[in-house]
Amino acid sequence: MKKIKENRTSTIVLHNILIGVLAFIWLVPIIWLLCTSFSTYDGMNTSTFFPEQWSISHYVRLFQPDSVAQFPRWFLNTFVIACANCVISTLFILMVAYATSVMRFPMRKPLMNMAVILNLFPGMLAMIAVYFTLKTFNLTNNYLGLILVYSASSGLGYLIAKGFFDTVPRALCESARIDGCSEARIFFQMILPLSRPIVVYTVISSFLVPWMDFVYAKMILNAGISSQYTVAVGLYRMLDKSLINTYFTQFCAGGVLVSIPISALFVIMQKFYVEGVTGGAVKG
Amino acid sequence: MEDQRKVSFAEALTKGDLFVKLSLLWMGAGYARRKQYVKAAIMTVLELAVILFTVNFAMQYIPKFGTLGTVSPVRSFNVDTMKNEFNDYDNSFQILLFSLFSFVVWAAFVAVWVKNIMDVYRLQLMEEAGEHINSFKEDLVSFKEEKFHITLLTLPVLGVVVFTVIPILLLILVAFTNYDQNHMPPSGLFNWVGFNNFISLFGGGGLTVSFGYAFVRVLGWTLVWSFFATITTYVGGILLSLLLNSKKTRLPKLWRTLFIATIAVPQFVSLLLVRNFFSNGGIVNTICANIGLTGFLQKIGLVSTSYIPFLSAPGWAHVMIILINIWIGVPYQMLIATGVLMNLPTEQVESAKVDGAKPFQIFRKITMPYMLFVTGSALVTDFVKNINNFNVIYLLTENVYTTTNQVMANSQAKEVDLLVTWLFRLTQDYYNYKMASVIGIVVFVICAVFTLIAFNRMIRGDKEGTYQ
Repeated sequence: MKKIKENRTSTIVLHNILIGVLAFIWLVPIIWLLCTSFSTYDGMNTSTFFPEQWSISHYVRLFQPDSVAQFPRWFLNTFVIACANCVISTLFILMVAYATSVMRFPMRKPLMNMAVILNLFPGMLAMIAVYFTLKTFNLTNNYLGLILVYSASSGLGYLIAKGFFDTVPRALCESARIDGCSEARIFFQMILPLSRPIVVYTVISSFLVPWMDFVYAKMILNAGISSQYTVAVGLYRMLDKSLINTYFTQFCAGGVLVSIPISALFVIMQKFYVEGVTGGAVKG
Repeated sequence: MEDQRKVSFAEALTKGDLFVKLSLLWMGAGYARRKQYVKAAIMTVLELAVILFTVNFAMQYIPKFGTLGTVSPVRSFNVDTMKNEFNDYDNSFQILLFSLFSFVVWAAFVAVWVKNIMDVYRLQLMEEAGEHINSFKEDLVSFKEEKFHITLLTLPVLGVVVFTVIPILLLILVAFTNYDQNHMPPSGLFNWVGFNNFISLFGGGGLTVSFGYAFVRVLGWTLVWSFFATITTYVGGILLSLLLNSKKTRLPKLWRTLFIATIAVPQFVSLLLVRNFFSNGGIVNTICANIGLTGFLQKIGLVSTSYIPFLSAPGWAHVMIILINIWIGVPYQMLIATGVLMNLPTEQVESAKVDGAKPFQIFRKITMPYMLFVTGSALVTDFVKNINNFNVIYLLTENVYTTTNQVMANSQAKEVDLLVTWLFRLTQDYYNYKMASVIGIVVFVICAVFTLIAFNRMIRGDKEGTYQ
């Protein structure tokens, strides 16, 4: 009786209409971004939602670098930094999460409490000092400095991964230990494959850091040399008050081009979520 | 196997043999005596390195730590080289930084030194008991066995110490100096001023009364913002995830992809875009004027300008920022919630359904407690992250929102500022490092009081095993 009522067509339709309306609200600004990027007009169009005339001229211009806009170069810079950060941060986060979740050692609780306390400090505060330190060692305005800024302290972001490792059945680890498995093998060959969703989440978020962030990049790359910028700093500069009327549409085109590879990545990663850990393992 | 017996430092000193005591001076002695030659060599090299560091590096800066330097730069003309040259002047910032660095190195060394004595004493006890003493190879193997946590944690902890702990300590020290625009190394020196900066922030010191006023305002908005930003996106994310993962949803993959598309656009693109979307002369204002909404709002007195000041008037801007943050934050939380809900114990849900539980009851009694268990600690970090959420506020309001409150403007603050954006402006545009540091410390203290209570409540009694 109940089952029939639950699956009535009208509720299904309402349910899907609700999702559709929400999705539409979420997509309006993105649609505007797409439309504006195909406009022929350089500045912002404030009179109509859709551009009056369509063209791809601003995409073409992105690949003809001038002194302000050097999009291909920015893209490469960000990509290199993102890859380095992705590898280092993912390793750091998973290592810390595993050590604090699965292993037991005397310093565990003190270290975790320290991490909580450190996370309470504004990151900006540390950054100001980091900037001066990097400047002392001549590491500002280059890749290495920025990679260090993004990845060195990433171990502090271990809590989400730890929360996930906590739900992996401990019996699995115990039986592996009894079979003479080393801790290192338990980590790499058991826990990591079982925790694919959280590994994927960590990979996504660390790869995205350099693409999303502009403030640290702006602090470190402060020499004003356009060829050193990351995409974030470069595109941000395009919206300076003196430049916005010439570059707004190019900014939109650049935003679209940056978003395409990242969205593609997201969709690939998404599959891991759906597969999740439902495949193997003894479930709790 | 590594010996697990407990020894204390005092016990090691009193009961240790000659070689244990010799280890106080030559750190390799105890290991050399027990034939652990590689370890002995490593310890000796470490000891020499620290001594060299102290003599060649630390002693240049530590003696000046008390004054932070006294010699100002003076340019003079050198007749021999025919060039302008500077005297050997002091750089207050370098003195502060390198002294602090030396202190940290020494502290770490003392910790190693103490542990070393205890370790060699333990070796002595093991030898006396006729136990097997590890070869160097066996010691190495232990780093992927019972000492695997050391292998895992060394690099991340080192990174955190160098890039978070030392900088934070450095700026805590700066809060007690007069490091600002008028005292900028290398051209100027700064020195210790005690608690003067804290007094100015809390309304003392005549000229800087406005700092206390601005501080209370900014703090209030920071807390309101963090609370709403955290709760709305967290609950919204779980609800959206349940909505999308429901059996009733057609094409769940497509919908999920659409929502993810909005966060796949980097924040500086989407937020800068939205800020122009809602700008005073922007497209939304044009549409609102066309459909008569602006006129209506003018009539009921909510708007006094010819446009709707979405992001440029207090009140409007505050609400808009939280709404825009929902737009940007909910898909993220939906992703996390989807991952976690996949591990939701399905038997519980099934049996609850058999017992006739309503969907809302299942949500309240099973789904939410499980979500809170797995992501509860992340909720606390989210709150702190939102207190420090620079991107949303800065990208939406910088160069758009101008304060009309003269007292706020005097302290370089705005009504929509979070403490971090204020701190950022103070350092980047006004070089007021001393006040920025003080604000940073005060934020920390306030956050710490709030969140440590919440965090301890959440993990109290070590419930880590509940869902295993």
